[in-house]
Amino acid sequence: MTNPFIPILVMAALALLMAIGGVAASAVIGPKRYNKVKVDAYECGIQPSPHAMGMGRFPIKYYLVAMTFIIFDIEVVFMYPWAVAFTELAMFGLIAMLGFLFLITVPFIYEWRRGGLDWD
Amino acid sequence: MSAVPIADFSNDTIWITIVKAVVILVFLLLSVLFAIWFERRLVARFQQRSGPNWNGPFGLLQSLADAMKLLLKEDITVKAADKVIYLIAPIISVFCAFMVFAVIPFGPEVSIFGVVTPLQMTDFPVAVLYILGITALGVYGIVLGGWASGSTYPLLGAVRSTAQIISYELAMSLALVSVFLWSGSMSTSQIVGSQENTWWAFTLLPAFVLYVISMVGETNRLPFDLPEAEGELVGGFHTEYSSMKFAWFFLAEYINMLNVSAVATTLFLGGYRAPFGIGLINDGMFDTGWWGVVWFLAKLWLIMAFFVWVRGTLLRFRYDQFMNFGWKVLIPAGLVTVVFYAVLKGLSTGPDPVLSFGGEFLTLEWRQLLLGVVGGLVVIAVLMLLFPGEDEEKPAKAGASARGGAAKVGAGRSATTSGTKRPGTDKPGRKRATEEPFDAFAGGFPVPPLPGQELPPSPRRARVTTPAAAPAASPAAGAGEDEK
Amino acid sequence: MFVAPHIEWAALSPVLILLGAAVIGVLVEAFVPRGSRRLVQVVVAALALGGALVAVTWRWTVVQQDGPSSLVAGALREDAPALLFQAILLILALLALLVIADRARGEDAFTPTASAIPGSEYEGQARRAGLAQTEVFPLTMFAVTGMLVFPAAADLLTMFIALEVLSLPLYLLAGMARRRRLVSQEASLKYFLLGAFSSAFFLMGLALLYGYAGSVHLADIATAVPLVSGMDGLLLAGSALVIIGLLFKVGAVPFHSWTPDVYQGAPTPITGFMAACTKVAAFAALLRFVYVVTPGLGWDLAPFLWIVAILTMVVGTVLAIVQTDMKRTLAYSSVAHAGFLLLGIIALDERGISGILVYLLAYGLATVGAFALVTLVRTKDAEGNLVGEAGHLSEWAGLGRRSPVLAVCFALFLLSFAGIPLTAGFTGKFAVFGAAVAGGDWPLVVIAVLASAAAAFFYVRIIVLMFFTEPATGEDGSATTVVRSEGLTAVAVVVCAVGTVLVGVVPTAVLAVAAQASKFLL
Repeated sequence: MTNPFIPILVMAALALLMAIGGVAASAVIGPKRYNKVKVDAYECGIQPSPHAMGMGRFPIKYYLVAMTFIIFDIEVVFMYPWAVAFTELAMFGLIAMLGFLFLITVPFIYEWRRGGLDWD
Repeated sequence: MSAVPIADFSNDTIWITIVKAVVILVFLLLSVLFAIWFERRLVARFQQRSGPNWNGPFGLLQSLADAMKLLLKEDITVKAADKVIYLIAPIISVFCAFMVFAVIPFGPEVSIFGVVTPLQMTDFPVAVLYILGITALGVYGIVLGGWASGSTYPLLGAVRSTAQIISYELAMSLALVSVFLWSGSMSTSQIVGSQENTWWAFTLLPAFVLYVISMVGETNRLPFDLPEAEGELVGGFHTEYSSMKFAWFFLAEYINMLNVSAVATTLFLGGYRAPFGIGLINDGMFDTGWWGVVWFLAKLWLIMAFFVWVRGTLLRFRYDQFMNFGWKVLIPAGLVTVVFYAVLKGLSTGPDPVLSFGGEFLTLEWRQLLLGVVGGLVVIAVLMLLFPGEDEEKPAKAGASARGGAAKVGAGRSATTSGTKRPGTDKPGRKRATEEPFDAFAGGFPVPPLPGQELPPSPRRARVTTPAAAPAASPAAGAGEDEK
Repeated sequence: MFVAPHIEWAALSPVLILLGAAVIGVLVEAFVPRGSRRLVQVVVAALALGGALVAVTWRWTVVQQDGPSSLVAGALREDAPALLFQAILLILALLALLVIADRARGEDAFTPTASAIPGSEYEGQARRAGLAQTEVFPLTMFAVTGMLVFPAAADLLTMFIALEVLSLPLYLLAGMARRRRLVSQEASLKYFLLGAFSSAFFLMGLALLYGYAGSVHLADIATAVPLVSGMDGLLLAGSALVIIGLLFKVGAVPFHSWTPDVYQGAPTPITGFMAACTKVAAFAALLRFVYVVTPGLGWDLAPFLWIVAILTMVVGTVLAIVQTDMKRTLAYSSVAHAGFLLLGIIALDERGISGILVYLLAYGLATVGAFALVTLVRTKDAEGNLVGEAGHLSEWAGLGRRSPVLAVCFALFLLSFAGIPLTAGFTGKFAVFGAAVAGGDWPLVVIAVLASAAAAFFYVRIIVLMFFTEPATGEDGSATTVVRSEGLTAVAVVVCAVGTVLVGVVPTAVLAVAAQASKFLL
């Protein structure tokens, strides 16, 4: 077993089998009694608003959260290899990474002050 | 300490791998059943009642009965759903949830069917990165499930869930960076191996606290479970799901709890190592072979009990409160922790006390660096505390019209922060939109007046003044007053 | 085993000064109270550009003494061409900053809040509350930082990073115009999308060249060109893709489709900044790439580059003749200039570098000056309120009578564009065409001269319009007026005009300095 990812493949195959099998099992085993209100969207009992009006829209502030997350996630991703190779990179690596963190923290501070992180 | 894993998989055949995979799957399913029972009994105890005790001894078969019931329910596909994604979303969720345990070490090397193999399915030098990646992929299941349901409330619930998960994922990753710093590797077996003397929970206590808080936020558990709270959005993203698809979402949530607990155990609590003292008995007899599984499970269930304890005790946060907490408290705390531990590690293991950085111009001592970093952090903190908030940023006529404007999708930097930023210290001197009369219908739907605002006189008052209609008008005026 | 590289802080000082100013700009945005923010930002930006210019001059003297060197473990080169391009960039950026920082009747050229939906009531509230989008200044500083690194980049990765650093702030800045918000946002989106595509082309070319040579350093690729055989497809495809990515930035046909829309939609001070400085930086990088990597490929890449140059000159000139909007005319004329500059690239001759330097200086001065003047010519409606800039060419009629100084300066810049003798444009064209002839590309020079003559037609047409035509009033009573600004634009225009005349009348000093920049450090 030279390749360490083969067990991952095995696990993936088994997990996929189980996931699909379960859904298939309930589709086969479960009863099928059609009723119009069962297939309508649930809106606490009232008539649901047609989806065409909403069309998959949601407030834009969630999109802003995702954008901000991407930036800081990339920063964290850059920190992983630095953390693992820390002793080898020694002082140069530490100062370079501190500089990088500072350059990321400045826009974080700007975003905080300007309300980009508010009531997200 | 090198970065490669110390667990040796060279003796593994494909059959051993399949056996391990099946064992892990069975273990996860049984653990989830047990966890549901465990949670219901323990929360009941917190609430001074007894929990399920009817199906089987101590109610142990209750969760099995619930699972069977779910299997036998009708599999409904709502009319407005996007069929393909509606089907795939729970599969993605549960698939990603299962995959994490492939790299969690249950114990040191044992002999299975004559083959000497570690009690771990696989390991590679970036195992924890793999875990983080798979967890992030699992978020797809949530957001696609909500979107494919074809109705607005699951979509909103899904998006809120996702926003919460990714916010806390950042804090979690920052806490983990400290662990990678000190153990010098991202491989789970290497990290467990590096915790010989002390567990990282003690050396890296701030990182551990940060991780525990963010793991509760990541799994959408109380006190951070507003996207799933009953009264808010019914079921959130899984409202429109039934039978096994819903069961898979439910299963994925509990397996995620197990996942983060397992990661916490491995990275902070020493994995399969015996606690201190016990490991010394009889030349470390309790630290070898199958005993590792006992310690691992004990620590895992300790953390699960902690999850349930927190659920039974704490109040639920409001959504904006915990988003503020995640972004404004946890992430700065995480950054400070990483910087602090990096400098500390440099001080403790740095080969040269004086290193030149940049040749002739810059020669730094570690002490000076520590001073500089701490000084910089202090300066930043003072600046942030000294400078006033951003209340004067938004246009002064914030009150009525902007609150109406906030309901419109994408109203840019809508100005409602002028009120909510510092609710306790609302400066009375600031003009509070009293320049123009308060128009309750400015945004298109009626809003009540804020303190300091007054409604304009009702047009129905005019009817009261006609004397002929006065006796008849007073009940009308009274009714008008009530409705105002 | 990791060996820490040696960082030459002194040599990096221009870039570091600007980067520091940009970071300080962001912090100023976060902390300084709204009233004094603008002044602080302008001061910081101006000091930074001035300081960087001084630093570049100092490095020039050092390089003249000690010779060129490579910095930061081979990622950057400090040689004469790089320093001269950086100096030109800083001069043009300083002049453009004066125009950006200027206000006419209390309003600057930028929208009060860029993130509001156009036409929403929030916009009106923001304007009445006196908000200002002063992030323009740190964004400009970031863009100039990228532009400073671009000519000095010695490996393709650094070049790509500099490309992105200079482009992303410009995408944002293009969307911040005060009036005609939708056009501005469309321009920004177009620029962003097309810029992203061209960056993707650049990256693909980078990958192919890495596959060919085993390294991203320009020097290593250059040494691999004669050595490695049998993978010519990789080399040609890689070089072509990288050049395409750079040609987009320059605005060469057929990669020019963003130019008219972006130039028209962006706020006019930003257009001037973009038109001048981006071209300088992009041509510097293109020059370094072509001269270092592809001399051995002269035969193979020549057809491609010839076609691009001819198309650019012809299409730019022809389309400029039929335009009716002032900014679009200037945009297409800048496309034509890009074509003329490409002659210097194709020449693959020592004099090509100095020729391009002089032409870019001349073109840059005239561009910043011309767009600075465009910001001042506004339309006012029947009641006398300012409506916006005078876009249509017919609105410029008769300006010579009412504001002779402005019209004369504008005419000077147009003549410099046309390449009339005694203006800087003539010096530049002479230098570049001379290099092209020396490189053996005389058919290109013939086409270039013909295109110049055709271009002179529409330049002179504008001059005639300004001086020899009656001012027109529109049907709704609107008229053109020239606003008085706070004076910074006037300073910029004066400096540009003086520079144009000086370089045209006494070109020897500039030509001599440029001639020293004849060799790229490999």
